[in-house]
Amino acid sequence: MTPAETPPPLFRMEGVSKRYGGVRALEKAQLEVAPGRIHAILGENGAGKSTLIKIMAGVVAPDEGRILLDGQEVTFRSPAEAAAAGIACVFQELSLIPDLSVADNIVLSNPPRRFGMIDRGAQRALAEEALARAGAEDIHPRAAVKDLPLSRRQMVEIAKALASKPRALILDEATSALTAADVAKVFAVLKRLREEGLALLYISHRMHEIAELADTCTVFRNGRNVATFTAGSRSNSEIIEMMIGREYSNVFPPRQPVAKPAKAPVLECRNLGWTDRLREISFSVGEGEVVGLGGLEGQGQRLLLLALFGVLRGTTGSVLVDGSPVTISGPAVARKPPLAMALIPEDRKTEGLMLPMTVRENLSFAALDRVSRGGVIDRTKEEQLIDDMVRLLEIKTAGLDIPVGTLSGGNQQKVVIAKWLMRKPRIILLNDPTRGIDVGTKQELYQLLRRLAQAGAAIVFYSTDYDELIGCCDRVLVLYDGRVVRELEGDTISERALIASALNVEAGQEGSAI
Amino acid sequence: MSETSENHVSMRTRLPSFIRRADPAVLTAFGCILLLLFLGSLYSSNFLSPDYLLQQLKVASFLGVVAAGMMVVILLGHIDLSVPWVMTAGAMMACAVAGFGNTGSVAAIPVGILCGVAFGLLNGIGVAYLRIPSMIVTLASNVVAQGLMVVYTGGFSPQDSAPPAVRWLATGAVVPGLPNAILVWLAISAAMVFLLTRTAFGRAVYGIGNSERAAFLSGVATRSVVMIAFVVSGALSAFGGVLLAGYASKAAQAMGDAYLLPSIAAVVLGGTSILGGRGSYLGTVAGVILITLLQSILSVMQMPEAGRQIVYGVVIIAMLLLYGRAPPNR
Repeated sequence: MTPAETPPPLFRMEGVSKRYGGVRALEKAQLEVAPGRIHAILGENGAGKSTLIKIMAGVVAPDEGRILLDGQEVTFRSPAEAAAAGIACVFQELSLIPDLSVADNIVLSNPPRRFGMIDRGAQRALAEEALARAGAEDIHPRAAVKDLPLSRRQMVEIAKALASKPRALILDEATSALTAADVAKVFAVLKRLREEGLALLYISHRMHEIAELADTCTVFRNGRNVATFTAGSRSNSEIIEMMIGREYSNVFPPRQPVAKPAKAPVLECRNLGWTDRLREISFSVGEGEVVGLGGLEGQGQRLLLLALFGVLRGTTGSVLVDGSPVTISGPAVARKPPLAMALIPEDRKTEGLMLPMTVRENLSFAALDRVSRGGVIDRTKEEQLIDDMVRLLEIKTAGLDIPVGTLSGGNQQKVVIAKWLMRKPRIILLNDPTRGIDVGTKQELYQLLRRLAQAGAAIVFYSTDYDELIGCCDRVLVLYDGRVVRELEGDTISERALIASALNVEAGQEGSAI
Repeated sequence: MSETSENHVSMRTRLPSFIRRADPAVLTAFGCILLLLFLGSLYSSNFLSPDYLLQQLKVASFLGVVAAGMMVVILLGHIDLSVPWVMTAGAMMACAVAGFGNTGSVAAIPVGILCGVAFGLLNGIGVAYLRIPSMIVTLASNVVAQGLMVVYTGGFSPQDSAPPAVRWLATGAVVPGLPNAILVWLAISAAMVFLLTRTAFGRAVYGIGNSERAAFLSGVATRSVVMIAFVVSGALSAFGGVLLAGYASKAAQAMGDAYLLPSIAAVVLGGTSILGGRGSYLGTVAGVILITLLQSILSVMQMPEAGRQIVYGVVIIAMLLLYGRAPPNR
């Protein structure tokens, strides 16, 4: 078969849309996956890739649109139904049960039975066959998954997907945990599966992998498929161009020129590391500076903030505050002077707030030591600080004694920020604070960040939204695989530069066309 | 989700303010108490006599003291299963110390409570620092306490009787007609309400119960809060045991066995979520009275023991089904 002629599609999506609350994740997406092809999906954070996969795998149901398998319309009500139809997934987060054996895991969803009992002999044979198909014959089926290194587990994951004899295989960042040797093996396996006529959907952020593997590429942006083309017909820089192209919908306050500080930076990291997830991270944040963390999701930005806040155990390297080395043993230490740090956590519903508790209790929760004497809460003082914060952040609530969970997302986020501002922090770490909140509140937050910086705070701001990094930050550190791969400053912070460094390719580079 | 909760709020704002502020579970519990008294009075008018009611409150006070400690632990989302033998240990040690003359008599109550503090520390360290599930740690320390007491008594009923001070605390009456045990329960209740609503510790307890992660990330010293809660529970269990010894004039093997399920049930019937984070102390008081009345009425009606146990269990399950489960919008 020549690459130019496309066989009739095995799987087809027509006008599929999905909304989560007010956020549209997919908007009339079209996709065709043909048997015997490797189809790569590209797109930046939040482009709709994961929603697309979840719909294909029956994890979520689309709001509208049709899904056709072999030309027949199908509806998957559960992952089991999708699996029965021949669609298997290899996810980035491992779905194996560590305490079970490799063979147990591979046949987990549908073990071979004899007289109602699991047929262990047949199970082992099935597992061996699946492992062989995945090119991982070296893994013993009876080994416990928890004893295998991460890269071997990922191979078991692939074998597990193959055990159900799928017709379409979806790989979501399946190679991100693998060593180079394993990647080569997986590629050989994938190419063989392509020969066997499987339809393969391959999602990866590694451009060179896509260049090596893919037959067809589809670029997603803002929940829509913007382009589908034969692999090798576009250059890296053209692809990045396709991934950009959002309108600027947010208004950012003007950046203030930060005077080069004469004194030591408020916060400085030297060779900060944690296991193999954070490596040799060095940077500093001066008074009045907003430093952004960019890059694809899960490249260590979140861990870096947790490490700075003392949540991670066993970090290496050193952290300096005002030029002197500090040991941050936990949030209880981090929040107190002289550090006076604040962390706006990633998930406000489980990490930032206690949803059933009242607005009042949530607001003063991190500052109880400031409003109490001898452990007894001074209600007048508490009330006063809360009033100040409600006014400062314009928190819209029907009262202070209603559960914070009844507020809108934006106002909930304001409560999280207010509860930390009550402590008057000098170092503010923000973990994607604008996720899932409305545009109006976002703009208020941008203004607030700038005001806090002007008042002398040092701010580290992780965002998955590139516009925010461009609009809000004085400098942006781009992380890739736990390292700072690029530092952008001032006018060099552009969406193009951000995406290029996030993918760890040179934007101007035309050579390695895919 | 926001829509349903708004409806919920607007529906509640139409109610009078004192009802709106109260937890529906607490109201239900008090309603059930009235219902039980009414049913009892149909059987015999004695059920409404002041003597009977005071006697019930006195019996309830032992359970009340134990349940107060249990509530703090349950609010955290944990549980303390070491109640039975920590009570017994507290009672036995208090009586044993009393054997050493006058000094012993004075030290009896503090020693009994310290015993509970020690077991509470053991539980607290296990749960907070060693991260062992509270169900396991407290069950184990219950057995340890049992073993220690069996070694101490040689397996027989201890000979020491409760010192006068302990007996006075349980059965005497500073205010004529009002047993001291009830006053003790009142004092502990007042302290609990203050602790849970007015102190940073109380806020931290509710916070941890709702989301330990959020509390930790807010900079609360979650481990010490958890440990202190278990110490409070241990101390109050032992104190409850000391009071019970005073009431019965002496400590006995397995005297605390009848207090484990009732203390948990009282807390949960009073509207405290077994998953932690929600509940008011007033509800626990209502739960304690409710359970004591239920036990009393069943025994007054001369129902055979087996039937009593069955009715008691069924009533608790029915009430938990009625309102003990977490609302769906959590």
